[in-house]
Amino acid sequence: MALQCRLSGATIQSLKMATIPISPSSSRFIFRTTPQTLNLALFSRHTPPKAPPFSVLIRALSAQAVAAAPAAEISDNKVVKPQWKAAIDFKWIRDNKEAVANNIKNRNSNAKLELVLELYDKMLNIQKEVERLRGERNNVANKMKGKLEPSERQKLVEEGKNLKEGLTTLEEDLINLRDELQLEAQCIPNMTHPDVPIGGEDSSKLRNVVGSPLSFDFPVKDHLQIGKELDLFDFDAAAEVSGSKFYYLKNEAVMLEIALVNWTLTEVMKKSFTPLTTPEIVRSSVVEKCGFQPRGENTQVYSIEDSDQCLIGTAEIPVGGIHMDSIVSESSLPLKYVAFSHCFRTEAGAAGTATRGLYRVHQFSKVEMFILCKQEESDMYHDELIKIEEDLFSSLGLHYKTLDMATGDLGAPAYRKFDVEAWMPGLGRYGEISSASNCTDYQSRRLGIRYRPSESPTTSKKGKTNQATPKFVHTLNATACAVPRMLVCLLENFQQEDGSVIIPKPLRPFMGGIEAIYPKSR
Amino acid sequence: MKGKLEPSERQKLVEEGKNLKEGLTTLEEDLINLRDELQLEAQCIPNMTHPDVPIGGEDSSKLRNVVGSPLSFDFPVKDHLQIGKELDLFDFDAAAEVSGSKFYYLKNEAVMLEIALVNWTLTEVMKKSFTPLTTPEIVRSSVVEKCGFQPRGENTQVYSIEDSDQCLIGTAEIPVGGIHMDSIVSESSLPLKYVAFSHCFRTEAGAAGTATRGLYRVHQFSKVEMFILCKQEESDMYHDELIKIEEDLFSSLGLHYKTLDMATGDLGAPAYRKFDVEAWMPGLGRYGEISSASNCTDYQSRRLGIRYRPSESPTTSKKGKTNQATPKFVHTLNATACAVPRMLVCLLENFQQEDGSVIIPKPLRPFMGGIEAIYPKSR
Repeated sequence: MALQCRLSGATIQSLKMATIPISPSSSRFIFRTTPQTLNLALFSRHTPPKAPPFSVLIRALSAQAVAAAPAAEISDNKVVKPQWKAAIDFKWIRDNKEAVANNIKNRNSNAKLELVLELYDKMLNIQKEVERLRGERNNVANKMKGKLEPSERQKLVEEGKNLKEGLTTLEEDLINLRDELQLEAQCIPNMTHPDVPIGGEDSSKLRNVVGSPLSFDFPVKDHLQIGKELDLFDFDAAAEVSGSKFYYLKNEAVMLEIALVNWTLTEVMKKSFTPLTTPEIVRSSVVEKCGFQPRGENTQVYSIEDSDQCLIGTAEIPVGGIHMDSIVSESSLPLKYVAFSHCFRTEAGAAGTATRGLYRVHQFSKVEMFILCKQEESDMYHDELIKIEEDLFSSLGLHYKTLDMATGDLGAPAYRKFDVEAWMPGLGRYGEISSASNCTDYQSRRLGIRYRPSESPTTSKKGKTNQATPKFVHTLNATACAVPRMLVCLLENFQQEDGSVIIPKPLRPFMGGIEAIYPKSR
Repeated sequence: MKGKLEPSERQKLVEEGKNLKEGLTTLEEDLINLRDELQLEAQCIPNMTHPDVPIGGEDSSKLRNVVGSPLSFDFPVKDHLQIGKELDLFDFDAAAEVSGSKFYYLKNEAVMLEIALVNWTLTEVMKKSFTPLTTPEIVRSSVVEKCGFQPRGENTQVYSIEDSDQCLIGTAEIPVGGIHMDSIVSESSLPLKYVAFSHCFRTEAGAAGTATRGLYRVHQFSKVEMFILCKQEESDMYHDELIKIEEDLFSSLGLHYKTLDMATGDLGAPAYRKFDVEAWMPGLGRYGEISSASNCTDYQSRRLGIRYRPSESPTTSKKGKTNQATPKFVHTLNATACAVPRMLVCLLENFQQEDGSVIIPKPLRPFMGGIEAIYPKSR
């Protein structure tokens, strides 16, 4: 069936992009990024007993990433060895243990704070003891350098031997203790912004409302029915080829996806974000460092056979990995990225009615914003990110509300999280279309990303420059466009009585000027 | 034994029946095993070959068409890796840490160029009445096999998903081939012409040597693929149509290339005939494959179970019944409309300028906001 006929006789014009406001002769695309989380509903083995496991039915895209302990190997003496270590500030935890304990309680986390403090104390004590023994061993060694009676020498040799054995045992204990401490401490969730409401899902606070539900004077269809009638998707063939929750997009839906991605990238690039495409296969350690659990029960993460690699569930992961284990200059901050990628999620454990059609799928396209910034600026960039999102959704004419998510709904990495829920008339309720998280230094302590504050160098008398100690960056991530959820919104909100769907004006230039998707006679 | 019988006669028959039953059971088992073995062995037999295909190895492939000639440069030519580095278009180093070798991030104008290439290609091919699609990139391994690939062979190109029978696709040919699996389509619906955009994943196990630098050989890439299901007698014609579409696309972009009729030693098992297009890549100093168009006749359709019912004029018998013709297997064809990384190599290396900039081919400009070139930026 010729696609030209389907577009009401209009030939397919070259799909013009809105002019990017950068002329070739001007300065290059300087894009700096801000983050916005599209969280994954991840549940570790230690599913918090108080949290209803699948409260994420409505906000399918929220990550309840319980703090991820790194994959560890079990050694012979049953001490688990972490494959990587987060740079945890144990002293700070100890000095602020009440605040940390309250935070753990508010988030329904099962991190074991008492154990951590206990292990930390033990570790400090053993460390002291190890240092003391080393000192004594040095003394013995020094004494043995001088002239001695054979009997005296013999006594010292014995003493040295005893000290050495004791030291070896203690040093082993210290290593095991450090590993255990590290694993337990990495389960402690991020602290929480003071304004975040405490409680479960129902405690989330309304931050903003834009528009109101459209009223229809004809029976409203859901996106599945609209898609069927306009030949926009095929779930049945995909079920045979791949399994449930897979789909083909067809005809105008393909052009609509491309237009959504193109327009979103263009708009966000105007705010100085650097556009990227990313690998969709990554090492599992990177997934863990971002706060997800590839190998937990009910994991959202697909793993590749015979390898340590996984498929990404969000571009947050490969983008977070770009500056892994490095120190960036303060002048390069903020680093602002807008990344387009396909995302893969097992959706294990997701059940119920909120899984029909495009609402919950295993594979989808997403445009994600990610920011690395100075510590004192993350709250400001969080506001910037949610503003960008709200502007995008308003431009498309959607009705939505922005929520400040309560403590029980924050994933372990998130200091604060704003979710946007848009009105989906076909489903008859609000559905999450995006999420913006400020992860402060939770991810950067795991990914090892720091910056060197550029204070005015003070030169000492010898002419040396004092360099400030590097600090951990703050990272933020935010969904600019999750294509299937947007398709649900556009199809359901802009459906017409005659079965057509109006295309929002901003997207039209990116789709050859098409104004609507029309039913075609067969 | 149904009739009235003497006891001794009945007893004889019972004995005979028992013997027959035992012999039958054994033979029936043998038959099943034999059928299975026959099937496995026979499925290894490659497709037949078009009579015009040259016989021999790589060097025997026949030149079918040449368009343009190698551009001459009056300055030292850079390869795409160097150009990309200077224009900040990709990052292989960060990707090596995050994912491993042969992975990459595209940055800045390269992102817009990828989108423009995909968008323009889809638009052009849609004008020829192909239905646009996006496809699942995770598929059941049985579908991969039915298309003629071997997910679990040694040096397989296919990534498998842990704890499942699923794999990642290496080409959209696979999920598109699967759309009409196990079905009979009406003759009037043929030809079915699809143009599918997907990401593709390949292990590149066993690929070694210098032809692996940069974007030339990577584990993940974007591709626009054409796929046709048609009547048996029409596949040669559609093979010509597909290669013509490809050549028109590459000519529009100003590339210099040659089209080859691949020799028998270079055909994959499913291909009856295969045309490869190799474009001139000045930075690499040689021709590199940018696309491939195969006529798989009924090799894939016999495995995928895709048939069509010829719509002959119904003859009514005296009783008024309509005679329905026996279903036949469709022929399938597939062809690369755009393999993005190889196209990026071609565009960057061919259209580099002395000042370090890269000119964007005119057809792509409207899809990139009108940008005419990628310029070096002062830092």
